[in-house]
Amino acid sequence: MTESFLTAMDLYKSFSENKAVNGVSFSIDKGEIFGLLGPNGAGKTTTIRILSTIIQPDRGEVNIAGYSLKKEADKVRGLIGICPQELTLYAEMSAFDNLVFFGRMAGLSSDKARGQALRNLELMGLADRAKKGRVDKFSGGMKRRVNLAIALMGQPQLLFLDEPTVGIDPQSRNNIYEIIEGLRDQGMTILYTTHYMEEADRLCKRIAIMDGGKIIALDTPHNLKKQSGDPEHITLEEVFLKLTGRSLRD
Amino acid sequence: MKKAFFIALKEVRDFLRDKGDLSFSLLLPVIIFALMYGAFGSSSQFNGTAYIVNEDPGGRYSELLIQRLSNYKAITIQQISPSEAERKLNRSDIQMVLVIPSGFSASLEAGQNARLIFQQRGNGGTEGQIIANLIRGEAEGIGQEIQVQSQVKTALATTGIDQSQIETTVQKFMDREESAPIVTVVENTIGDSPDPVNQFLPGIMTMFVLFSVNLTAQALVEERRRGTLERLIASRLNVNELFFGKFLAYTARGFVQTVILLLLAWAAFQLFTPLSFLECLVLALLFAAACSTLGLIIGSLVRTENQATWTAVFFTMLMVMLSGTFVAITKGTTLYTLSRFSINTYANEAFRTIISQGGNLGDVSLEMLIMAGVALAGLVVSRLLFRVSQGGK
Repeated sequence: MTESFLTAMDLYKSFSENKAVNGVSFSIDKGEIFGLLGPNGAGKTTTIRILSTIIQPDRGEVNIAGYSLKKEADKVRGLIGICPQELTLYAEMSAFDNLVFFGRMAGLSSDKARGQALRNLELMGLADRAKKGRVDKFSGGMKRRVNLAIALMGQPQLLFLDEPTVGIDPQSRNNIYEIIEGLRDQGMTILYTTHYMEEADRLCKRIAIMDGGKIIALDTPHNLKKQSGDPEHITLEEVFLKLTGRSLRD
Repeated sequence: MKKAFFIALKEVRDFLRDKGDLSFSLLLPVIIFALMYGAFGSSSQFNGTAYIVNEDPGGRYSELLIQRLSNYKAITIQQISPSEAERKLNRSDIQMVLVIPSGFSASLEAGQNARLIFQQRGNGGTEGQIIANLIRGEAEGIGQEIQVQSQVKTALATTGIDQSQIETTVQKFMDREESAPIVTVVENTIGDSPDPVNQFLPGIMTMFVLFSVNLTAQALVEERRRGTLERLIASRLNVNELFFGKFLAYTARGFVQTVILLLLAWAAFQLFTPLSFLECLVLALLFAAACSTLGLIIGSLVRTENQATWTAVFFTMLMVMLSGTFVAITKGTTLYTLSRFSINTYANEAFRTIISQGGNLGDVSLEMLIMAGVALAGLVVSRLLFRVSQGGK
């Protein structure tokens, strides 16, 4: 039996009348890439914000590596890295300075932060641009890779990737896929959200599809496709549209 | 707390990296100081214009009044028509006009009462009030002369002395009295006029540090807007460290700006002794700390950069206006009571005590206590108000 690294049980979160997360439960195995898919407003980002200690759930329990999110949030923070869907960078700083700064905030010493920053930027193929110029002069793909590199500062065991490939070219996207697969091979646990079904199909061992704050399906990509038809001829996007409907969302 | 210092260091580096921000924040105090000195530091001799609508042209007493007013070197006489006076008053081009009504001289010559009319906006303004007082003095003088002439003529009516002879003699006595009055006023000047540098330096310094209210509020809002706030909080940084880091950075920035002004004032005007300079540094640090926490409170309450700017501008303007920075506030007035709620008031008073009055920190212990209290309370209140995001910690 595989060991669960993250367990979320019966999570609820409302903003005024809006039930953003409405009884969500799932678990992620250690070393697994777990996909969280859903249309806009489905509750994916709110779920990630709860799991990454930014907001507290109204109800429910989360356990990460044996630590309760409610009681031991500081310990949980030491285990996680987050790559938000927005480019959360200090535009006026260099890529290297951004990484060092977030590394220091993650509790690394100056030397360790600098060492990790260089390694992470090398991993992202940005070593030659590490200290050259402000990040706001970078291309969209480069900024995305810096955004991801920051998430790796402090060598987290659990990584939250919230649409990390949005708005970039196929080459940069493919590069990020390879990096994520490399991280998985090193044993990192990853929770991944995306609107690109083909990348979820490629990267994720299991996928949960959310809609209206609830998980409406959870299985491997193959099994999800199988439930809707012939897995060899149906795409994950078709499964997704079948489950969530074709009406426009927020 | 190590992370708080690292945040402060990052803010300082950002500040030093941004050449525009750096040059504005360092040069602006110098430029503003020079402008203020130019505006307020020149001669304080009064000069004003008396606007007169003379509806009694050629009248003996109206002409006498105008002629006597024109004897004042500080007053320029400008006669205008009634319609022009009305238009200028309506547009607030002028605040007070003297109207000499038709028949003014004839009434006085007939021994009847006559009126002068002041048409004014509000209280007529400071200039208008000064000129009105001078006009009243001259009008009363003319009135007394007429009274004396009239009473002497009445008293000597049965003596058979020629009326014109009485009038000439009385006038001669009155001219003699005017040239050598019984009661004289002596102006005993002790030293020069108050040094405008002493007067305005504290106000300019405190006004500048107040800008850090906006900068600190902006720093929090900007962190939220670009998403780095949530990212930082999801790391091992706690909100207290974040707050303390921002507080340190913007206190340091306000402090550095004040030090520049103090050094400038010392170099240019020799205002300080080494001790009083150090005492002013202590005050500057406390005031900068108090202002930074006010910025943190605003940053905790607002959601957008525009909200932060306008809220900070509102409080900054309010505090400058209430602090008596450029206009003296009289004790016992409502404004004075309100001024006690402005942190600037205490900073201004403390700086003035040390710079102008040769006081020391012991003399401003209450002001220091209030500034330190505001800084501490501000930190606590802002932290209690602060939320990373809706539903967040």
